[in-house]
Amino acid sequence: MFLTRSEYDRGVNTFSPEGRLFQVEYAIEAIKLGSTTVGVRTRDGVVLGVEKRTQSPLLESSSVEKIMEIDRHLGCAMSGLTADARTMIDHARVTSQNHAFTYDEKIKVESVTQSVCDLALRFGESVEDEGAMMSRPFGVALLIAGIDELGPQLFHTDPSGTFMRYEAKAIGSGSEAAQSELQDKYHSQMTLEEAQNLTLRVLKQVMEEKLDQHNVELAQVTVDKGFEILDEESLKAVIDRMQS
Amino acid sequence: MPQQRQFNPYSENGGTILAIAGADFAVVAGDTRQSEGYSIQTRYAPKVFRLTDKAVLAVNGFAADGNILVKTVKQRLEWYRHAHAKDMPLRAIARLIQTILYAKRFFPYYVYNILGGIEEDGTGAVYSFDPVGSYEREACRAAGAAQALVQPFLDNQIYFKNQKPKPGQSHPTHLPLDHVLSLVIDSFTSATERHIEVGDGLEIYVVLARGHSAQGLSNIPGAQEISQTDEGERVFVVRRDLKKD
Repeated sequence: MFLTRSEYDRGVNTFSPEGRLFQVEYAIEAIKLGSTTVGVRTRDGVVLGVEKRTQSPLLESSSVEKIMEIDRHLGCAMSGLTADARTMIDHARVTSQNHAFTYDEKIKVESVTQSVCDLALRFGESVEDEGAMMSRPFGVALLIAGIDELGPQLFHTDPSGTFMRYEAKAIGSGSEAAQSELQDKYHSQMTLEEAQNLTLRVLKQVMEEKLDQHNVELAQVTVDKGFEILDEESLKAVIDRMQS
Repeated sequence: MPQQRQFNPYSENGGTILAIAGADFAVVAGDTRQSEGYSIQTRYAPKVFRLTDKAVLAVNGFAADGNILVKTVKQRLEWYRHAHAKDMPLRAIARLIQTILYAKRFFPYYVYNILGGIEEDGTGAVYSFDPVGSYEREACRAAGAAQALVQPFLDNQIYFKNQKPKPGQSHPTHLPLDHVLSLVIDSFTSATERHIEVGDGLEIYVVLARGHSAQGLSNIPGAQEISQTDEGERVFVVRRDLKKD
């Protein structure tokens, strides 16, 4: 099996005889090494949570950035090779701003997700006007959260350029346990507070360290306030509430 | 002997357009004469176009530029429909037209545009543009050859300029559909009398918001319904003859 694989796993744009693109499959594997990331959608907004693995006690945990803003109404959490996500988020931000410039309206969550996925499939191809080639697929998966005229939505994208809409989704190393926990506990009538609790509880279960305001990051997109990352103080309050 | 050569890519094809917004409807009208100098090229060249179920665009100025502009806008609307799975809202179309016009800031489309229709909140709206994309939402606007004749009339009849309300009364902010239609028809018959580039035919597009009955159209013979959405927006066109001399 390994022999057949090695023949076809080098080129990013060559199918194996069984019809597989190994580099894309390996990229999807890379995400399973990343830190656990959870997203939960409610009728009032979407909650995103990530585990920040602190490799060293000397590491400044506030410098680990795994949730980013795309636009006022759009947020994004990542797992995998987070450096790759910068390219994708840059692209999403430009797409969103361009849409607002041209159409004087907020872009739909699905539309930015689609544009990010279009980019994800451009490996092995030169990106327009830049001479450089994208030599490999992105090694990162995103949870894109946002609110548009269709209400709060949560999308998951992977390195194959596929995207799907979820009520609740977990990605990264602890995703299997986390996803089944979400499946158990999620219900569609959830309030935003309940979604925050669920997100933290799921992260707590799959994390090795004891969960505190330094090793998790929580963000949300709500109708009133748009995208916001919770600061340490309010994050601590949410953690205390969850544990009580 | 010094010689001069000139490249003159523009011409002016006459005609007039006008649009009026009601509380929950919009009316967009234009004559159908196309002329160059003293000669009429055709008596039927439409200047008003239905873009979506809620948006109508009137284009006046250099006809060739106008036709290309409408073609471009329609293509962009189709692309948008495919990319975002919905019709482009009126205010998005207005902004799109601005970006299309301004992209040709240094070789402009020689056209004045008036966009009319229904906003996402269900109100009637009119947007007017200059040739390089400056735009504004208004209650009414006339443009083209007889603008100088029609706009003062509308200012007086729609905005009640130079009119004092009766004591204890105030002017209405929006007029009913039947009243607006008679103002439109009067505007064009008068413009036809006084301006040689206006005449032949009149096309009036009426866009009704959901829930607006076609009551005001009942005493206008020959109103033809051209589209209707599931949500209830309706577009009608009324065609009238104007004097051909």
